[in-house]
Amino acid sequence: MDAILKTENLRVEYRTQDSNGVKVAVRDLSLSVRSGEVFGFLGPNGAGKTTTMNVLLGFVSPTAGAAYLFGVDVRKPIARQRIGYLPELTYYYKFLTAEELLRFYARVFGLPRAETERRIDRLLKLVELEPARKRLIKTYSKGMQQRVGLAQALINDPDLLILDEPTSGLDPLGRMKVREIIQRLKQEGKTVFFSSHELGEVETVCDRVAIIHQGELKVEGRVDDLVRTHQTNLEQVFLRIIGYQPQSVP
Amino acid sequence: MNKVLALAGVVFKELYRRKDFYVLFFLTAVLTLLLASVNLFNDQRVVRYLKEVCLLLIWVSALVIAVVTTARQLPAERESRTIFPLLAKPVTRGQVLAGKFLGCWGATGLALVVFYAFFAVVSGTREGHWALGATFQALWLQWAMLAVVIAMALLGSLLLSAPSANSTICFILVGGILLVGGHLNTVALQQPEPLSSLIYALYFAIPHLEIFDVRDLLIHDQPLVGWGNCLLATLYAAVYTATFLLMAWWVFRRKPLSA
Amino acid sequence: MSARLPILLLGLLLTIDFSLATWLQPRSLGWRGRRAQADTMLKVLLGDGRRMFANHFFTKADAYFHSGYYPSLFDQARLQCENHLSGAAEEQASKGGPPDSKHDEHEAEHDFFGKPKDWLDRFSRAFRVTEHTHLSGGGREREILPWLKLAAALDPHQVDTYTVAAYWLRSKLGKVAEAEAFLREGLRANPDSEEILFELGRLLWENHRDAARARNLLEAALRCSERRAAGLAEPDKTFRGRILVQLARLEEQTGNLAAAIARLRQLQEVSPTPEVIQRQIAELQQRLEAPPPSGHPAAPPSMRQPGSDR
Repeated sequence: MDAILKTENLRVEYRTQDSNGVKVAVRDLSLSVRSGEVFGFLGPNGAGKTTTMNVLLGFVSPTAGAAYLFGVDVRKPIARQRIGYLPELTYYYKFLTAEELLRFYARVFGLPRAETERRIDRLLKLVELEPARKRLIKTYSKGMQQRVGLAQALINDPDLLILDEPTSGLDPLGRMKVREIIQRLKQEGKTVFFSSHELGEVETVCDRVAIIHQGELKVEGRVDDLVRTHQTNLEQVFLRIIGYQPQSVP
Repeated sequence: MNKVLALAGVVFKELYRRKDFYVLFFLTAVLTLLLASVNLFNDQRVVRYLKEVCLLLIWVSALVIAVVTTARQLPAERESRTIFPLLAKPVTRGQVLAGKFLGCWGATGLALVVFYAFFAVVSGTREGHWALGATFQALWLQWAMLAVVIAMALLGSLLLSAPSANSTICFILVGGILLVGGHLNTVALQQPEPLSSLIYALYFAIPHLEIFDVRDLLIHDQPLVGWGNCLLATLYAAVYTATFLLMAWWVFRRKPLSA
Repeated sequence: MSARLPILLLGLLLTIDFSLATWLQPRSLGWRGRRAQADTMLKVLLGDGRRMFANHFFTKADAYFHSGYYPSLFDQARLQCENHLSGAAEEQASKGGPPDSKHDEHEAEHDFFGKPKDWLDRFSRAFRVTEHTHLSGGGREREILPWLKLAAALDPHQVDTYTVAAYWLRSKLGKVAEAEAFLREGLRANPDSEEILFELGRLLWENHRDAARARNLLEAALRCSERRAAGLAEPDKTFRGRILVQLARLEEQTGNLAAAIARLRQLQEVSPTPEVIQRQIAELQQRLEAPPPSGHPAAPPSMRQPGSDR
């Protein structure tokens, strides 16, 4: 099966102002995500997850190596035609309504008008923003903004969804709804690639995970294989992989 | 092109949903109408001073709208993080820049139409005749000038992180060019070398925005600028606009963005 | 803390504020001095800088008179330099021939564009006012009035503003009452101004044919002029000459030929061309000595001192 998302020896370096001069954020990362799977991308803060996502989305150019979406180099805009992206911090144009925002993004994707209106109605119902569709986004709560974010990520009916901490800041009900949406997308044959710190959730929804630490890929594999191999839950596997040693209580 | 127009549409919506334009138009209208009500030796037919003040207010307002709207576009997108879901779509940075430019320029043009319509009504009713050709020409030339200013402000917004700094520098540059730009050759001829050559080089390098200021022709009922010269001036503005936009694209495409 | 305490404190502070204000206000008039007499918003806002603005707006009126054809600061500086240079050269070369006519001088002064220095300069002229015209006919001179009014409001002590405005109001726009009112406003601000007194006198005679009042004003102008000249090492005699011309004309037109001759004799003392004045005196003396034809008043000869008319 061809990889929908692939990185080959990806390396990203940043200039720093200290004496070293260069910080390696991602070090020779090679991973692949297959079609139809839910893939968890895990790592502690500063591991390089966001940097990797920035490369995949074309925000940052890699120093070395390559990244591909649907076999197309990520530096080409067409690579993003079939993806949806939900950033961790969701802010959208405050002077637009949810309807206008979705219509704008639909136009960027080149969707026909009739299809756009159908999708807007469907998505606003899905994320339960139908009553607030004509209100300006600046009047929305954080949870509502997160749901608008999910709707805009789905406007082009993407084959690959890239989610950066999708449940961050949501209450338990909100997190449950996001999980339901991810599972529904999986049933529809979509591919989901997301990063999260909620390892309990990851264990529930993900088929495969990759754990990255200090810019390097530490492990990649099926969740149940990892749990079976290490004879413990995913959280303990994670801590073991990143080399966490619990402090002994004096 | 559809993507560029979609981006421009968002800028349009932003302008007419903010208060800037309405406040400036209200101020212009109030000041003009107040001045129109002043008793000047019991003569109701004095009109040129009114045209001058109205046109000055229009110029200042249009510059404020153009510079302030443009200066905050890209920094606001970065600060509010709306640039990330946007660039995660199949849209290039060049298209984003083009969309922002078209949106700001179009929105400013629309504002100019409203301002000049008010001006035409005030001056027409007072003078008893309607100089529509001259008014249209003044509007067109000012709009062409604002294309250069907007492109300059877009470039500035990529080089300077703070919109306020960018706006201030743009205002100073534009004001300086309007007041002094056309006279740099006179100043250069009075200087010793190598200063003379430097100033002359600067004179040729800067966009001569004062060319587009035909307020005196409109105020004093002078004949129209020849349409050939008008076209040449438009081309002149287009070249500088394209230059600034190209420089902005060159900076923007290399800029790393971290979500 | 009870809920009433903040309100009571606020009331106390407001009472103290108002009491202090009433105590300070009369004392502030003393230490602010002349500035305390400022009675218009413009004076308060601009202070002494308003004179600079007044000059600017007076110049603006001139620019309007020329329909926008006016030199910029850079052009003015260049012209000054060139005129200075050309003046020095002429002084060396010429033997004091007759000066150019006023019209030629005016044209030369306003031909400030010169040849284009480069293609950009040539191109930019298509977008500027490049024809030297004056506002004339159809009452178009009214367009300079707002700037003159504003200049007067900013600097009431600039007497030229009043005299220029009054000239155009009464002679081209037919607004004699407005001209008189404006001149009187100027006179209130400048009670010793011979220029304003002179203009008022002219107005009263030329427009109202009120000889008595006109004569009083012209004589008052003459006295002010003489008072001012007494304090100067090299007094300007030109304006005194104009007052005397006007007085002489008035006396002649009211039939007081002897008084007219007396004024002309005074004029001879200050005129650069006394022989011309002498001829006019001789003419008047002839008329004085000759018996007047019955029923016809003597036709006044034109009495012009070179440079007296605008």
